Amino acid sequence: MFLVLSRQTAVPTNVSSLMGVDGHVSQGPWFASVLTLKTSAPLRAEPKKKKKVDPRREQMVRERLKKKLKKLERVPPELIPIEDFTTPAKYMDETRVRGAPQLPFEESERRALLLKEWSRYKQTQHRAEMEAVGLAVEAQREALEELRLESEELYQAALRPDPLLFPFNHQGPSYTPPKAQYEAPEGKYNNITKVYTQ
Amino acid sequence: MAAPCSRMANRPLWQFITNVRRTGLKHTGVRQISLSSACRAATQTRSKTEGVPSPWKLYGAVCLQRLPVISQERNPIEDQFAELMHQMELERSLLSDHEQRLLEDSERMTRKQADNYDSDEEEADYGGQETITAQDQEDTWEQKLKHFQPALRDRDVGGTPLGSVERCLGDSLVLLVQQTVGKETIWLLPQAQWEAGETLRQTAERGLSSLPEADFKATFLGNTPCGVYRYKFPKEVRTERCVGAKVFFFKAFLSAGSASQKEPFLWVKKTELQGYLKPPYLEKVDRFILNL
Repeated sequence: MFLVLSRQTAVPTNVSSLMGVDGHVSQGPWFASVLTLKTSAPLRAEPKKKKKVDPRREQMVRERLKKKLKKLERVPPELIPIEDFTTPAKYMDETRVRGAPQLPFEESERRALLLKEWSRYKQTQHRAEMEAVGLAVEAQREALEELRLESEELYQAALRPDPLLFPFNHQGPSYTPPKAQYEAPEGKYNNITKVYTQ
Repeated sequence: MAAPCSRMANRPLWQFITNVRRTGLKHTGVRQISLSSACRAATQTRSKTEGVPSPWKLYGAVCLQRLPVISQERNPIEDQFAELMHQMELERSLLSDHEQRLLEDSERMTRKQADNYDSDEEEADYGGQETITAQDQEDTWEQKLKHFQPALRDRDVGGTPLGSVERCLGDSLVLLVQQTVGKETIWLLPQAQWEAGETLRQTAERGLSSLPEADFKATFLGNTPCGVYRYKFPKEVRTERCVGAKVFFFKAFLSAGSASQKEPFLWVKKTELQGYLKPPYLEKVDRFILNL
């Protein structure tokens, strides 16, 4: 008994002095833990190698998410409807139809003759325009020829495009000339155009 | 063309010289002289095409156009056609919202004036609101329009001077200046003599900016000249170096500018150019001034 006790008391000093624990020591201070739950047993076992499994698991999760995203992306994007091509329903209403007028014979004749005269007028106008443009182009060609005879350097300078010319803005002719010091009245507007995103 | 001729002339001459030296014949001397003079002429023409400056003086001129500010008056046929188009479009169209409102309002008025008018039924439909009829709206719009006074279209009935930019708002006008060329002062497009080291477009810009008492802001359309006028000086002035002059024209649009009325400026339409420019000059200039 005494021996046992002495051995019991002697062992803890031994254990504390010892560094590494190789075998399963079921004596000394661990004796108490043997009766209770083996909470400290894993502490002494070889540490688990978690390095490979966790990254693999995370990678698997990421791959699954990417596959789901790809499946979603494979769906073609919804086409944006062109609102000009669909006639709104309210214009198909029958109450909106104007009564078709019955034109007398003279009126329809007058219209046909006027249209023909107009086409003749427009034709002469077009021919005159084309001729004028042709003359202008010819004049420019002659100018470039003469310039080339003069000096090659000036000719090359003339052929270079002008980067400052575009964008070129000019207010076209209106019906009445602009008033000097005219202040246009201020107005508000609400923009209700529908904006679609794909 | 001059270069190969001179080369061909050189070789036989050299051979001739050596032959003459060998043989010592006299009659070949005559031929030698004539050949040498031909050779000299050939070399002269060759040097002219390479190094000597051309005998034409260069000028850069600007064709400054003021584009039309108002639309032109319609021809009778254009008037008729516009009316016809308007009529046809009206016939082929559907009723607009505004027109439908007008019809509904007029129907409601007739119903109100009828004998069996049930005001409770009407007000139940429309919620008893004070509705503004479409006709009332039209009247208010017309009143607003009458308050606005637009500027008059035909301002030159009073006769604006030829030098003013405001004349003939419906047509495009070209700027003419009076300059001394040689001995006489004539009307022409503003020009300046070309100096070495600048492009012709810069010459034209200089010609425009150097006009006394006038600041015109113009946008030049590109670096290419639109026309050329070549003329020879009168025989007294003509020398070997300058036979004549070439005037290169550049197009520009007037963006902003003003000029005092004292200086001799003219803004003319294409049809009026004949009264101011000399015939050969006008012939060349008329081509690139478009009335479109």
